[in-house]
Amino acid sequence: MWKWIQRQASPKVFYGTCSRLIPWFFWPFASLLVIGLFWSLVISPPDYQQGDGYRIIFIHVPSAILSMMVYAIMAIAGGIGLIWQIKMAEVVAKVSAPIGAAFTIIALASGAIWGKPMWGAWWVWDARLTSELILLFLYLAYMSLNSAFDNPRTAAKASSILAIVGLINLPIIHYSVKWWNTLHQGYSVGTGGLKDPDMQIALAIMFIASIFLYALLVAIKARTEVLVREQNSRWVKDEVEGVVS
Amino acid sequence: MTIVEYFSFLPYGKYAFYVWLAYGVSAITVITLFINAKRNHTKTILSLKNKFSINQ
Repeated sequence: MWKWIQRQASPKVFYGTCSRLIPWFFWPFASLLVIGLFWSLVISPPDYQQGDGYRIIFIHVPSAILSMMVYAIMAIAGGIGLIWQIKMAEVVAKVSAPIGAAFTIIALASGAIWGKPMWGAWWVWDARLTSELILLFLYLAYMSLNSAFDNPRTAAKASSILAIVGLINLPIIHYSVKWWNTLHQGYSVGTGGLKDPDMQIALAIMFIASIFLYALLVAIKARTEVLVREQNSRWVKDEVEGVVS
Repeated sequence: MTIVEYFSFLPYGKYAFYVWLAYGVSAITVITLFINAKRNHTKTILSLKNKFSINQ
């Protein structure tokens, strides 16, 4: 296993691994999404307080968790790239950023749409909402800093440092509902927030589907990024010329 | 008639507008990510193909 991981540092091997993994990520994602949506929208009962309005939770919570998880992965991969000079870690960090930003946008948008019927406002400057918005800005800053350099190695170095500094925001988002008296409700998972087993199962399935979605998108985007970075190597030439389009 | 009432014929009644809007926005975001990723890959392969054929 350790040997296998070490071999992924080679662009050619990593490209092949990504290509092979795509169907292994796609089919679990697609099937879990269908089951998860059915469980969320049909099987789960209405909530005793929020009626059917609570069903937004099944996209809101997974995307919010993923927005933080992807950020952590991005910062760790960036750190690995900085410390051990592994280019493929830089690739993972770079392609994770737009995916994480998209998850953050989904979390913020679904939260706003959920807030309107329950709180009467699309947006409030609550600690949870504000810190999640800062996460979106961190992603955008990472992406613009990364694209500001012509040399991908310099870009990776500068933006990885930004990502690592930004890690401080993750515990702030997580504990914001505890540290401050927020309008945002408390934890839904692990503390008895969601009690109905069907609701818990639906949320778990949607969460696992989101992880596969992230992995799938990383595999697709990493292939493109590796081709661009390694365009002067022989194997890229062979690979590109082998593709019939 | 407000937009929320207009969409109340859908499942989830008075919450229908909000629930489906949230699911719709998320679906569009995810689909955009996929289309973007696929298009970038095809574009990269085409431009590299061009580059290699010019160099030959």
